[in-house]
Amino acid sequence: MAIEVPVEQVLMVAAGLFLLGLLGVLVRRNIIFLLMSLEVMMNAAGLAFIAAGAKWGAPDGQIMFMLILALAAAEVAVALGLVLQISRRFDTLDVDAASELNG
Amino acid sequence: MDLALFWIPAVVALVSTGFVITRKNASHALIYLVVSLLSVAVIFFVLGAPFAAALEVVIYAGAIVVLFLFVVMMLNLGKTSVMRESRWMRPGMWIGPAVLVSILLITMVYVISGMPDASVTRGEVVGPKTVGIQLFQPYLLAVELAGFLLLAALIGAYHLGRRYLEQRREP
Amino acid sequence: MLEYLWLVPALPLVGFFVLFVTEGKLPDKLVGVIGAGSVGLAALVALGAGAEFVQSGEGSYAQSLWIWMAVGNFTPSITLYLDPLSLVMTGVITGVGFLIHLFATGYMWKDHEEPEGLSRFFAYMNLFVFAMLMLVLGDNLLVLFLGWEGVGLCSYLLIGFYHRDPENGYAARKAFVVTRVGDTLMAIGLFLLFRELGTLDIQTALGDTGQLDPGMATAIGLLLLGGAVGKSAQVPLQTWLPDAMAGPTPVSALIHAATMVTAGVYLIARMKGIYELAPVAQFAVAIVGLVTLLISSFTALTQTDIKRILAYSTMSQIGYMFMALGVGAWSAGIFHLMTHAFFKALLFLASGSVILALHHEQDIHKMGGLWRKLPVPFASMLIGSLALVALPLTSGFYSKDAILLTAWEHDTGRWFWAGGVLAAFMTALYTTRMMVVAFFGETKTEPDDASRINMWGPLVVLCVLSIAGGWMGIGVLDGLLGPLGEFSHTDPVAVTTVALPIFGVLLGWLVFSGRLDLSTLVASSFGDALRRFWQSGWAFDWVYDRLFVKPFLWVARVNKRDIVDLVFRITASVTRGFHHVGALTQTGRLRWYAANMAIGLIVVFLIVASV
Repeated sequence: MAIEVPVEQVLMVAAGLFLLGLLGVLVRRNIIFLLMSLEVMMNAAGLAFIAAGAKWGAPDGQIMFMLILALAAAEVAVALGLVLQISRRFDTLDVDAASELNG
Repeated sequence: MDLALFWIPAVVALVSTGFVITRKNASHALIYLVVSLLSVAVIFFVLGAPFAAALEVVIYAGAIVVLFLFVVMMLNLGKTSVMRESRWMRPGMWIGPAVLVSILLITMVYVISGMPDASVTRGEVVGPKTVGIQLFQPYLLAVELAGFLLLAALIGAYHLGRRYLEQRREP
Repeated sequence: MLEYLWLVPALPLVGFFVLFVTEGKLPDKLVGVIGAGSVGLAALVALGAGAEFVQSGEGSYAQSLWIWMAVGNFTPSITLYLDPLSLVMTGVITGVGFLIHLFATGYMWKDHEEPEGLSRFFAYMNLFVFAMLMLVLGDNLLVLFLGWEGVGLCSYLLIGFYHRDPENGYAARKAFVVTRVGDTLMAIGLFLLFRELGTLDIQTALGDTGQLDPGMATAIGLLLLGGAVGKSAQVPLQTWLPDAMAGPTPVSALIHAATMVTAGVYLIARMKGIYELAPVAQFAVAIVGLVTLLISSFTALTQTDIKRILAYSTMSQIGYMFMALGVGAWSAGIFHLMTHAFFKALLFLASGSVILALHHEQDIHKMGGLWRKLPVPFASMLIGSLALVALPLTSGFYSKDAILLTAWEHDTGRWFWAGGVLAAFMTALYTTRMMVVAFFGETKTEPDDASRINMWGPLVVLCVLSIAGGWMGIGVLDGLLGPLGEFSHTDPVAVTTVALPIFGVLLGWLVFSGRLDLSTLVASSFGDALRRFWQSGWAFDWVYDRLFVKPFLWVARVNKRDIVDLVFRITASVTRGFHHVGALTQTGRLRWYAANMAIGLIVVFLIVASV
């Protein structure tokens, strides 16, 4: 079952999700929330791909979504490992605490 | 009328995402994230991508969020962390990012609405079979590369996590 | 054998690589076998190839090996080109070179400071032979230039062979820098030639000389002469050769007497076509030769170091060759190159035996009475000297006579003849002085003769060549290089040419054996000043020191902080400033980076929207 939706509207929703994710990244200091916001942003990108695929009735959009999915899974696995390390080393989850790599 | 099928999950997704980024308790935020992901899955389904919708539910809402949940449990984020969050999230902190994001929103909306040939989706279902055939023929190389990426992530996560566990065992 | 021509340069190169790679780990005997053997084999191949070439009766033989590089229409090829001129040169380089290598196995046996010294010595010598062969066999001026610079490098390395004494290092550097002046001129000449003719291929270029306008031909000729002057130690770039005697004696024999210093003569003879278009340049060649000839033969009269006497004598003999080329006696010049290689190598090697027997005593006034104690070196020196003085029937006589008598017939040439004969007289005088002072009179240092067959063998062969080389030249070279010219030996000019050297020998004998006392003349203030002026090599070193070295050092001192460098220092500090500014943006705060990315995204979207 599928319906015809104006592509612009889907893209608007995707942009909205993306920007909410970005807002989360910019505002939150807790790494866990930061990572969740990142997931939201990637999900939004996936939505845009699906919309583009649906416009042409082609499977390529879904394939790109799956590649994003693989990326997200890999990113989350490594990032959560880093979260464990940071919480041990700095005894906090504040990203600003891990700012030793500055100029 | 048909558009309601798209807009209802879309609004749910946007609202629940808004909750994700504002919650102080990590577990609550994760539940909202699941809601957001599920509604996006519905949008996928509506757009005629049932396979992607299934993957969204299984992997995003299932695997990835569960992974988050494990870590939250391991870090034992309790009441203190909620208080800390409220200390970190003072209202004044929202102003700058909000302005920035609003400008970006305006430009994005402007660009999207200015697209030359406004069009609608086909409204036809692209099933798992088509996707699979495409995936393992022209995109085979990308699949291989994704496999490499996942392997590297596996090893990296194991390496990072192992040291954490070993050092916790010491005392 | 002709198709194995490539082996001639390849064998010494292989010898060099073997000695170079093993870094002196081989036993000394094996080093000697490789060092001398590679050149000996090359000589055999060259002999075989040369015999076949002469028999074939062809004018030239070219063996293309590969294209060096192909850049547009500039495709210099590595081609070996054999014609009578390069055949004579190849014969001299490999033949005389082999004899000198053989001598060096004896001379250098115990005469090196480091354990790997022998290996290093023969590695350099083999590399030199390779480079010199590329110089004469190369069919392309670029290959010639490669060999030209290669021999310069080896000369530098070998002059400074005894590198523990800083003086030797200084002499090596002087030789390198002074010849570099000439090489720069030569390089410019080659650039001009390439610009005008679009090729550096020698035969093609000489075939196209018709396209050159006379002015350009003169410029190219003079620039190439500059290179030749530097390499062949002619005025005004002659000052390096006497100092180059700091190297081991076999080096002086091979590089600074027989081969490398004659490269300039070869270059001019090779580019004959250019000089025939440019009479001014050719006249300049003759003038350079004449001036060097006179200056160095007067200087040789006052030197006390036996090797420096021979060095100045070499300069004057090469002056004869230049004069020969300048007055158009092309084949006589090359003939003299060959005979000179024989007798000068002989003189150097014999003096090397003497020096070795006297434990590195080079001052002739400290020798004396050696003729009884060192019979083989004495006999060799005597024969070499006879050839150098050009007494009749020796090889030097035929070649020098041909040069002087051609000079007499040259339209502007009476002066050249007169200068040449005067120099021949001086040659007789200083050679007699050297022989009398070093070998007769009372013994001042007891010699310690330890020479073996590998040392006196080459001397004997070179003795034979110094005598018989002349007849051989008349027989073989006449046909190869073109006629030397027919000269009557009875008219007054010819008689004077022959008689003056003999008179010189007699006068020298009377003066230096003390039978004719000139000490009051020499001791007078004028005589003493003149002697010191001559001994300093006509004060060229003093003039160059004042003219170039001192001002250069002054500029260097004033410009210690290097004004030009300031530009680059400013660039560096500006870059560093920007770096500091850029580093400020690296706060290490992740959210700050994310915000910047968002701003970048806005900019990108605005650009997209505006397009």
